[in-house]
Amino acid sequence: MGVNVVDRHAGSPSRAGSPTRAGSPRRATLAVSGREVTLLRGGDGARVLYLHGLCDIHAVWPGEQWTPFLARLATSFDVVAPALPGYNASAGLEDFDDVEDYVWHLVDLCHAAGLTDIDVVGHSFGGWFAAELALRRPELVRRLVLVDPLGVHVRGVEVPPFFGAVAPRGIGGAGEARRLLFAEPEGTVALDALPDVMTTEQQLLWFGGLAGAARLGWKAPHFQSRKLTDRLGRVEVPTLVIRGEEDLLVPEEAGRVWGGSIPGARLVEIPDAGHCLPLERPEIAAEVEGFLVGPD
Amino acid sequence: MNFFSFHLMPWPHLAPPREFLAENEAAWVTLSNSNYDPARGKELYDRYISELVVAEELGLDGVVVNEHHQNAYGLMPSPNLVAAALTRETSRVKICVLGNALPLYNPPTRVAEEMAMLDVMSGGRLIAGLVVGGGPEYYSTNVNPTDARPRFREAVDLVIQAWTRPGPFAFDGEFYQLPYVNPWPRPLQQPHPPVWIPGLGSPSTITYCVEHGFGYMGVAYYAPPETFARQAVAYHDAVAASGRTFDPELLGWLTTVYVAETDEQAVEEAAAHLAYFQGTLAAGFVGPGKVWMPPGYIDPPALVQFLADLRGMVQGPRPTDAATAVWKRSPLIGSPATVRERLLNYVNELGLGTILALLQFGSLPADLTARSTHLYATEVVPYVREHADNHFATKGWA
Repeated sequence: MGVNVVDRHAGSPSRAGSPTRAGSPRRATLAVSGREVTLLRGGDGARVLYLHGLCDIHAVWPGEQWTPFLARLATSFDVVAPALPGYNASAGLEDFDDVEDYVWHLVDLCHAAGLTDIDVVGHSFGGWFAAELALRRPELVRRLVLVDPLGVHVRGVEVPPFFGAVAPRGIGGAGEARRLLFAEPEGTVALDALPDVMTTEQQLLWFGGLAGAARLGWKAPHFQSRKLTDRLGRVEVPTLVIRGEEDLLVPEEAGRVWGGSIPGARLVEIPDAGHCLPLERPEIAAEVEGFLVGPD
Repeated sequence: MNFFSFHLMPWPHLAPPREFLAENEAAWVTLSNSNYDPARGKELYDRYISELVVAEELGLDGVVVNEHHQNAYGLMPSPNLVAAALTRETSRVKICVLGNALPLYNPPTRVAEEMAMLDVMSGGRLIAGLVVGGGPEYYSTNVNPTDARPRFREAVDLVIQAWTRPGPFAFDGEFYQLPYVNPWPRPLQQPHPPVWIPGLGSPSTITYCVEHGFGYMGVAYYAPPETFARQAVAYHDAVAASGRTFDPELLGWLTTVYVAETDEQAVEEAAAHLAYFQGTLAAGFVGPGKVWMPPGYIDPPALVQFLADLRGMVQGPRPTDAATAVWKRSPLIGSPATVRERLLNYVNELGLGTILALLQFGSLPADLTARSTHLYATEVVPYVREHADNHFATKGWA
């Protein structure tokens, strides 16, 4: 299968909803199969389940504020953003060691939160989980938005090792991690998300999040499944894939697999953006909203 | 008292710390093996094995080898191969493999087999060190670091069962499932060889050693001796809490030792080689460069503390004179009189029964290593042996 559509998107907010104030999210906890899940919820409209990824494992919640991307989404949708097990204050990481564990956790979470027929937006490994959720429980998912989704393995295409790049340094900060994750590693957004000097609280969130990421993705090549590509043809729900053109963790070839393997999927590539697309280019919320409210 | 000679078998041909770190992020994981020259490697193995063998001739009690992977710090990815050579080159000393990194072996019954071979081949002289493996090794082997500790403890249980339970039996664990555990040979020492575990002071490791009757060997090359002293105190507290009897041989100190005629000479001769050891070879888990400490290998609060301590060490004020700088982290460098008084003091104050002396470190050359080893074995060890206070009861440790 070839790529269905590749849009060159310059970040125009033409299809964005009216920029009303999203307000602050509410922090809540939810018991899911005996595990306590921390989530943020806020906004008005149809419900959207947002699944975080590598870039916002520590950036989404510290101030209990939306990131700009989620703030924009919450102007038009009722956004539910759980912390996956092991991240932030959500419990139960020790029981999770592969993607199956996360997917069935999300099935349970949807039941516990009364979510059915919802739009799911997933970033990074959250995008991978969203696709796997749609494969296993299509009735739970109305539409799917995958933002720089990890998970697809393309033989022969080398991806820089994530965990080596984020290993701490005795002195000298997080430049290597930023270079891997951001198109503008010394820009304000990247320096805010991954500063060279972190407070103790930031370090605890970051290292805790990395431990969660390692539970899932340590096995090399990191965050890739050799079986996913063959399964994507079974995704039955309308899907939008958005990829930063400078994403080093989701190479161009992987983006084309996502766009080309899911029937009817649309692939949008955003120039001058890396893996941390929702942080670097929050205006993609307009693209997401346009897709979610648009015709079938 | 037990006095062991410990060897890391380092690669001595890299640049001194400042030049090395200007060009490289670490001596581990990513330092290209094109830096390794096999012809020089052959000379090194011959030399390093001889440096261990001489410990027996000089009256020490044992020799220690250990396992490291994909680094210049220690050239024994399989310490069991060196230990096998030592079973033939020695006849009296204990041979301690400290240790095999159990989570890196699948199934870890491989370790039970090889160590049983070593115990039988050596006539019951093996001390079985079992280790989690260093942080960098989780990058090098791609074994998941996030369950390293529970995996390690289950593997220890499996290895000890493999040594002690008549086989075949089935093992149905969280991490390892084996329908037939039945290794041949079995160890000569019964019920099994002594088990030692090296540690950096984690309270759970200390308690684990005490509860299982395993030796706790505090690793203290990089930190000031006060750090190890706190570990020793914690060990005694754990023994007291457990209601067990203190066995001094099970509390050991792994430290660098260098002896020369005078303090000044010792410091002068050792300083550059110590700096190479602590600055070049250890770059990768301590120092200003890359810290190959994988996520989940230790809890985030422990990692945050580790990095804070590390920065304190790297950026903290430096002593202005060479001797103070060296002694800050390596007090057992000096004349025979200095080293034996200091060592005796540590032994008596901390209740130590085992000393693991790193007699070759960094780029210390053969001639200096040989002279220092000789002075240590003839002028330090007999003195400490004679004067060690074994009346642990008076200190509330018995």
